[in-house]
Amino acid sequence: MELSESVQKGLQSAADPSLFDLRSFTVLTDVTFRSLLSAHADPGVLADPGLENIDRVLVKRCHAAAATCILEMVKQNADKSTISSCLEDLTFDAERIEIFWKSYQNSKEELEGVLTSIGSQLPHINDVSWRLQYHMKNGHVHKVNEPFYLLSLNVENSGLEGSAKDINFSCTVEQLQDLVGKMKDAAKSLEKATQM
Amino acid sequence: MLLVLSEEYKEHLAFLPQVDPAVVFEFGRIAVEFLKRGINSKVYDGAARKLGFPITTVQHGVEGLMFLLTESSKLMITDIDFKDSVMVLGFSTELNEILLQLYVENQTTIRSTLTQLAPSLPSYHNLEWRLDVQLGSRSMRHQVVPVVTMLFNLTMGTSENRRCCLQTNPSTLLHLIAVLEAALASMKNNHARRILRNIK
Repeated sequence: MELSESVQKGLQSAADPSLFDLRSFTVLTDVTFRSLLSAHADPGVLADPGLENIDRVLVKRCHAAAATCILEMVKQNADKSTISSCLEDLTFDAERIEIFWKSYQNSKEELEGVLTSIGSQLPHINDVSWRLQYHMKNGHVHKVNEPFYLLSLNVENSGLEGSAKDINFSCTVEQLQDLVGKMKDAAKSLEKATQM
Repeated sequence: MLLVLSEEYKEHLAFLPQVDPAVVFEFGRIAVEFLKRGINSKVYDGAARKLGFPITTVQHGVEGLMFLLTESSKLMITDIDFKDSVMVLGFSTELNEILLQLYVENQTTIRSTLTQLAPSLPSYHNLEWRLDVQLGSRSMRHQVVPVVTMLFNLTMGTSENRRCCLQTNPSTLLHLIAVLEAALASMKNNHARRILRNIK
């Protein structure tokens, strides 16, 4: 796992007992994991009383380095041996590795969810609403007498727009049967794929 | 239901009895062609010259026939009603028969042409789907996320086709199928059946 110089330096400082004693290291680890998982950026996250006596700039640098390192580990799905060897190279002692590993295990799944949701996707269908109507006549043709459906697909556009748009269209009874048939084919092939 | 034909309209068609029934039949054929493909004024010139009538008369005649055919097709009137409506014009029985034959033969094509004029919503045409599995992204490696991608082909009237490419996950797909099956089932309940049967 490759980490940049500044990240490595920050982590080495966090590992240094003269800069962070064991208690403040534990607090730093907790604060870092919590800040990665919270929904809103909290500017007061580093104002924890456990980190009071330490230089502000140093705390910031170590926090940033630790956050980067954690995200990289989650991204690569690192196992215990990889993490241990990486931290050992950065002069972490066994106790600190253990503290780090415990917090990592607790938060790993949630962090994976956060990282998976980042990124661009095609517009995503959430729901469909329908309405059945009977077309009797219009300005050009009378006596049409045909039932039809109005479908509205509720679509979430993840990406820059971030707004929910709707795709509206009409279809006859036969077309709706065709649509449902094709969706059922898709579902069946999905089922077969899960059994492979 | 009878067609209501105005006085002006009767004037336009007044010259039809003065020509051969074959010519009337020809005019009818021209009227149907114009309904399908649009008006071609050169035909008026040729016909007017051949018959010795002024162009406006020929034009009014053909347009009158077009109006007769479109109104009858729009309202879907029965043969008897058509005959009664045409009798108002005071033509010979042979002429009436020619007009009726014209109407009966072309009714469905004229109706389908008229349907294209009606306002239309984007309508479903086709669905293509495919099953993908997302294995990784820039922010997260080692993923296994199944994704169903669907391409909806929608038509806006007769012109553009709109293609919407959308994604969904398997549970939403199953939910969509359940909701749409309920929609199809609602056609078969008593209420819908009663309405469909009685509004004709």
